Amino acid sequence: MHELGVIIEVVKYVEDFAKKNKLTKIDTLVLQIGELSAMIPRYIEACYPAAVDGTMLQDTKLKIEILPANAICKECSNVFNVIQNDKVCPNCKSEVWELLCGKEFMIKEIVAY
Amino acid sequence: MNTYKIIEIKESVFSNNDRQADLLREELKNKKTFLLNLMSSPGSGKTTTVLRTIEALKDEMKIGVMEADIDSDVDASLVAKTGAKVIQLHTGGMCHLDADMTKQGIDALEADGLDLVILENVGNLVCPAEFDTGSSKNAMILSVPEGDDKPLKYPLMFSVVDVLLINKIDAMCIFDFDIEKVKERVKKLNPNIKVIPISAKTGEGFDEWIDWLKKEVKAWKE
Repeated sequence: MHELGVIIEVVKYVEDFAKKNKLTKIDTLVLQIGELSAMIPRYIEACYPAAVDGTMLQDTKLKIEILPANAICKECSNVFNVIQNDKVCPNCKSEVWELLCGKEFMIKEIVAY
Repeated sequence: MNTYKIIEIKESVFSNNDRQADLLREELKNKKTFLLNLMSSPGSGKTTTVLRTIEALKDEMKIGVMEADIDSDVDASLVAKTGAKVIQLHTGGMCHLDADMTKQGIDALEADGLDLVILENVGNLVCPAEFDTGSSKNAMILSVPEGDDKPLKYPLMFSVVDVLLINKIDAMCIFDFDIEKVKERVKKLNPNIKVIPISAKTGEGFDEWIDWLKKEVKAWKE
């Protein structure tokens, strides 16, 4: 369970960003989490209130966008979701592919006043 | 009056850790100190392997050890008996070490003048693989009783390490462990990985492991 430690780093980063850019209120924080990331969105949501408590993000809403675990097949160039297809290209059944996305854990944007 | 704006940040949360890891690597390069990040499950024989490694190298290198555990100092007190410099890091419940914690450990160890520092990471095959510690090379131990299916279950760990030690091969005869299957599975994940079967108990395979380590330490100093 490492989500709390990581989300505290996120909050620190956003507070810093807000100070540097002279923002007074952050309405929404948008994170992007890949399906293959080691971060579990449900746990991020669960520990978010504890991480923002007493910070300028205390009333900031959290929004999480999930990025699919997509890969491109090296044999036939088909793009497919590796989780849904059990790591096998549904088009040509090849197991040789390159991951395009799905491991991200990003601060995408903030909505601020 | 609602003049809000959307500000794009697009910052990877791990990029901060990656930056700190690169800084630490550069610092260690200047100090000519090689940092080995050693990872494995609990009970795979990390500490026994570390003890035997120190024994084999202590006449030709100055060695330091950082023991990372959630609690206790049982490993550190064992290692201290070898005469190597050792510190115990408590992660306080965290399941992995990041670059910042590793940097604190290096500072506390006063690593100046050490040729080799071994970081015994928290026993865990999951998140230690996600966080760059700033190490020069990554190694992992898979022990025979854990089973040959581990590369299938924890693929990331096997894909980030430079060398895989297969430990407890002296117990191979009582387990259904297919070493060829392990090699095949890890090479698929990581074609450049070096696989060395060892027994930290009997010393079998240690010549190859010590050779690898010596060569890497020497290359780091050049």
